[in-house]
Amino acid sequence: MIQDYLILSVILFSLGILGVFSRRNVFAVFMSIELMLNAANLAFLAFSRLHESMDGHVLAMMVMAVAAAEAALALAVVILLHKHKGKLDTNVFSVLKG
Amino acid sequence: MFDYALSFMIFLPILAGLALLLLPIQKEGARIAGFIVSVAVLFLGIELFIGFAGTGAMEYVEKRPWIESLGISYSLGVDGISLLVLMAGSILFPMVFTLFAPRSKGYYANLLIAQGAMAGAILSTDLVLFYIFWEIMLLPIFFMIGLYGGPNRLPATIKITIYTIAGSLLMLAALVYVGVSYHNQFGQWSFDIVQLSQLNLSGGFAVLAFLMFMVAFAIKIPLFPFHTWLPDAYTEAPSATTFVLSAIMAKIGVYGVIRFVVPVFEVEFARFALALSLAGVVGMMYCGLAAIAQKDMKRMLAFSSASHMGIIALGVFCMNVQALTGALFQIAAHATSTGVLFLFLGLMEERMQTRNIEDLGGIAYRAPIFATFFAIAMLASVGLPGTSGFIGEFLIILGAIKFSGFIGFLAGTSLIIGVCYMLWMFQRVFFEKSNSRTEEFQDFKLSEALTFLPVILLILGMGIFPQPFLKRIEPTALLQIAQLTNPPHHQLADKTVLNSDQHNQKN
Amino acid sequence: MEHTATYLGLIPLFPLIGAVVIGLLHMLTCKNNPLPEKLYGALACIGPLLSFFLAVVVFVHLKGMPAEQRFLVHNVFTWFAVGDLHIDMGFLADPLSSLMLLFVTFIGSLIHIYSIGYMAKDQNFGKFFSYMNLFLGSMLILVLGSGPVVMFVGWEGVGLCSYLLISFWSEDTNNVLAGNKAFIVNRIGDLGFVLGMSYLFWAIGAGGFDYLSLKANAPTISPAIGIAVCLLLFVGACGKSAQIPLYVWLPDAMAGPTPVSALIHAATMVTAGVYMVARFSFLYSEFPVAGSVVAWVGILTALLSAIFGMFQKDIKKILAYSTVSQLGYMFAGVGVAAYSAGIFHVFTHAFFKALLFLGAGSVIYALHHEQDIWKMGGLKEKLPTTYKTMLIGALALAGFPLFSGFFSKDEILFSALATGHTGIWMIGVFVAGMTAYYTFRMIFLVFHGKPRVQKTFDHAHEPPAVMTIPLIILAVGAALAGVLNLPGIFGGKLIVSHWLAPSLIEHHPHMGIGAEVLAMIASVVAVVIGIYIAFKKFGQGAEEPEFKGFAKFGYYKFYVDEIYNAVFVQPYKGFGSVISRFIEPNVTDSHVRFSSWLYRKAGTAFKVFQVGYVRVYAIYMVIGLSLMSLFLSQSIN
Repeated sequence: MIQDYLILSVILFSLGILGVFSRRNVFAVFMSIELMLNAANLAFLAFSRLHESMDGHVLAMMVMAVAAAEAALALAVVILLHKHKGKLDTNVFSVLKG
Repeated sequence: MFDYALSFMIFLPILAGLALLLLPIQKEGARIAGFIVSVAVLFLGIELFIGFAGTGAMEYVEKRPWIESLGISYSLGVDGISLLVLMAGSILFPMVFTLFAPRSKGYYANLLIAQGAMAGAILSTDLVLFYIFWEIMLLPIFFMIGLYGGPNRLPATIKITIYTIAGSLLMLAALVYVGVSYHNQFGQWSFDIVQLSQLNLSGGFAVLAFLMFMVAFAIKIPLFPFHTWLPDAYTEAPSATTFVLSAIMAKIGVYGVIRFVVPVFEVEFARFALALSLAGVVGMMYCGLAAIAQKDMKRMLAFSSASHMGIIALGVFCMNVQALTGALFQIAAHATSTGVLFLFLGLMEERMQTRNIEDLGGIAYRAPIFATFFAIAMLASVGLPGTSGFIGEFLIILGAIKFSGFIGFLAGTSLIIGVCYMLWMFQRVFFEKSNSRTEEFQDFKLSEALTFLPVILLILGMGIFPQPFLKRIEPTALLQIAQLTNPPHHQLADKTVLNSDQHNQKN
Repeated sequence: MEHTATYLGLIPLFPLIGAVVIGLLHMLTCKNNPLPEKLYGALACIGPLLSFFLAVVVFVHLKGMPAEQRFLVHNVFTWFAVGDLHIDMGFLADPLSSLMLLFVTFIGSLIHIYSIGYMAKDQNFGKFFSYMNLFLGSMLILVLGSGPVVMFVGWEGVGLCSYLLISFWSEDTNNVLAGNKAFIVNRIGDLGFVLGMSYLFWAIGAGGFDYLSLKANAPTISPAIGIAVCLLLFVGACGKSAQIPLYVWLPDAMAGPTPVSALIHAATMVTAGVYMVARFSFLYSEFPVAGSVVAWVGILTALLSAIFGMFQKDIKKILAYSTVSQLGYMFAGVGVAAYSAGIFHVFTHAFFKALLFLGAGSVIYALHHEQDIWKMGGLKEKLPTTYKTMLIGALALAGFPLFSGFFSKDEILFSALATGHTGIWMIGVFVAGMTAYYTFRMIFLVFHGKPRVQKTFDHAHEPPAVMTIPLIILAVGAALAGVLNLPGIFGGKLIVSHWLAPSLIEHHPHMGIGAEVLAMIASVVAVVIGIYIAFKKFGQGAEEPEFKGFAKFGYYKFYVDEIYNAVFVQPYKGFGSVISRFIEPNVTDSHVRFSSWLYRKAGTAFKVFQVGYVRVYAIYMVIGLSLMSLFLSQSIN
């Protein structure tokens, strides 16, 4: 049974990674990251259930808190980026190109 | 308190330097504070010199464990090898504070830190401790050239820093190898040089480690062909810093070879001695020839300094007591002659705003005292008998002849090469007609003359009465040479005995 | 006994103290309130005179000792000692050094006195005497040194003073260049000296590196090393005593004040090489091959510089070449193992050459620094004392019978003949004729005939007594010094040779009276012919000829200076610039440049991965993490 949860978690995570790799819209990238975090949460909860311990839950709550904090920061960054270039296309922001 | 004299010589300047940085002091105050500290160190140094027994062993030893798990200890000591290097540093340092117009307090703080770190490198008898001071030594130099140097200071700073750090890292790797080898052979950790000298290294890694050590020291000396940072760094550094570089820091490179490389790598050293001595003489000739083509007086002296360092290094590689003693003596002699020439040059630059040889002339008429002092230092640097330069140079050439006639002959040409560029420079700068720049050249003020007088007397004194210096060096030099010519094979012998015993048992 | 030996240290010390005192006084006062010349003059003469006095004391003391034990050694302190090498700052007086000591201090004192007149009103009067005293002190160390290393101190010291005094009028670039040349060429010789000393030390020096111990150990030296040492030391002698190929500095050294030329570049310093060879007679006599080289180099130098001397027009240059030529004779003498003859020629030469230079100095002084003999003439009426004394000097130089130079030169030539060096003897006789010719060419052109430049002639006047009295004293010496070593056929007893015998290892060859007389007649004939030709050509007044053909070639000294310049000096400088401009940045620094280039290239190579898109970096991260996980899982299993 645990496999089903884990498979779902892996699918979600892979979707998230694919999203980060392929989407150019900043919001889409951001949402993909959130998807990955939730995939991880799912895995935590599944393992928590399996081992009958609350540690997984604690960590999942932690991840959610971090995600919320991160979202606040990330959205502020997104707004600044938009102010800067007027676009939300990640390819525009490539000043670190060597 | 005398038990801790060596620690004082190291940490008094370093702490004073740091204090200067932190305290709100004006530059004149910083200068006076620096002078007082360096004079205090000088007095300690003189005490040491007088009390030095010259037995050949370490004296004034301080030793306490530091990182016990790795056998690293805080151990200091003086013997014939380090004594004159240390003395040269302590005698000459007070001068750099009194001469020259005041600069910012950071400059003086750096000078003090440099002094302490150099004393530390000279006095350490633990390889790791030495390495730490060796690295600290570079920091103030980096700041002094980078912040207070001439117009092209940045490339020069970057070059000297990266160059020497590259060397240091090689040394670090080799140092680890030596420590691990000791652990493998004796089952315990130690970086103490006396214990490390028991090591019996052989094989490809030993050669590699030896070469890594040599490259590190060769860069600092600087030994041909690793000298290319020197002309730029010496030229761009403020005169006092150039003086510190040439008079003391370069010497620590030679000192390091004698102190750490020779005892540990006897076999490899003997094997490479010919090639290394060739590098020494070729460097001497090469830099001497390059010196004659320079238009900038400081650059000329920089090459001249490198040329002399080649001869000193040669003395170390010849593996006989005359050459080694000569090299150690010449270390001090060179500091008082060529080193001091940099200070004279700094004063000239301060007075005339130029150091281009073509623009000068006729100073001997305007400033007889200055010219006389300069001439004495110059003659010492070309090795005229009666000055300090002769004794060392003669002993080195004498030793080199025993080592190899050909190398001795090449070393002898330094008699000619040195004179060529020095006289050429002296002619253009001090003789011939004066011009509008040199017409107004001010002779020494009383204070300046008094600052230089002890050094000038030292140059003559070391030339006429060198024996008090030589007799303190010689016992240690003899020990070193004895070790080098009869490497301690006893461990090897023990092992073979052990093997043959096993063999016998099997039979 | 002990007492006299301790004087030895004082002999060089007095002039050295004088040099320091005068130097300090001059250095401190010359700019603001110069001290009177009289003070400097008096201070300058004290040291040399005291040294002369002590030299006499030492000489008398030695004379009172039995001939075989005539040496005094005084080790003042241990100079330096490392391993087997033990060098005492020691002084040795034996017959050889005491003879040198006597005439060096004597002539030195006279020239100091003369200089008070000659250098009057010079801006750097004090400096001059400081250098002169320093020179004398160094020369005395050279002579008295108890071993080669102490001798080397004096050897380099006199070289330094020579440099300082040649470039004394240093505002003129030519003078400084001449000084540089002297110092550098001398240093080339010194290289030979140092190498010779080093080899000598490793061969036999461990048992003591002073002359007495070396002499005792000399027979144990191996021939190869011995010959090498002899030749290397001779290179040193060539530098100091201006022999082929290092003679080029001496004619240029005439740029210095004339008393300097007399003292340093004629009477004392330049003979140091001869003295050194005689000092090492215990070595040279072991290896006649080395001696022959010395003799041949000497006689060829004598010939070459006599040729140059015949065509010069500067009075001091003529004398300079004659000095080189006479030095050649001395080396021929010591080379054929006639050490006492060589040293005796050093002795007489010191008198007559110092005399000629000082005479030339008073001519130059009288004519307000005119040195071209073609602008002089008829001066014997204006300068009678100078003329008479110089004539004596010229006769002595030419080797005219019964003057001092005759005996000493003849002794050398005869020794060459007697030891089988017939070629050297023939060249020597020929050069004697040339010497007579150019010496009297100079005398006739300067003092005889009609004045060529009326204006300078009218202003000419005899110099003051402080200058003429030394001339007269030296003239007496130049005329009579030969008596001291009168050979047997003149009823003499070779006093000097016998005096020197304990210091030297030599064999007096004998060929019978007949051969000796014939040889003597040959050289007298050569001298007379030389003087006669000079008289024919110049005795009645002559006009300056155009130098053509060989004469021009000779006047320009066979272009040796130009050749040296092209072969050594310019390539040396060129090599320096090539190193500094090309090799240093492009070759020696190449390993540094290569590594920095490598870093830059590596950076460019990795640049392609830095695309700047966050997504791509995320891919890198995932790839990296995946590989790490893979690796971990592999290693766990």
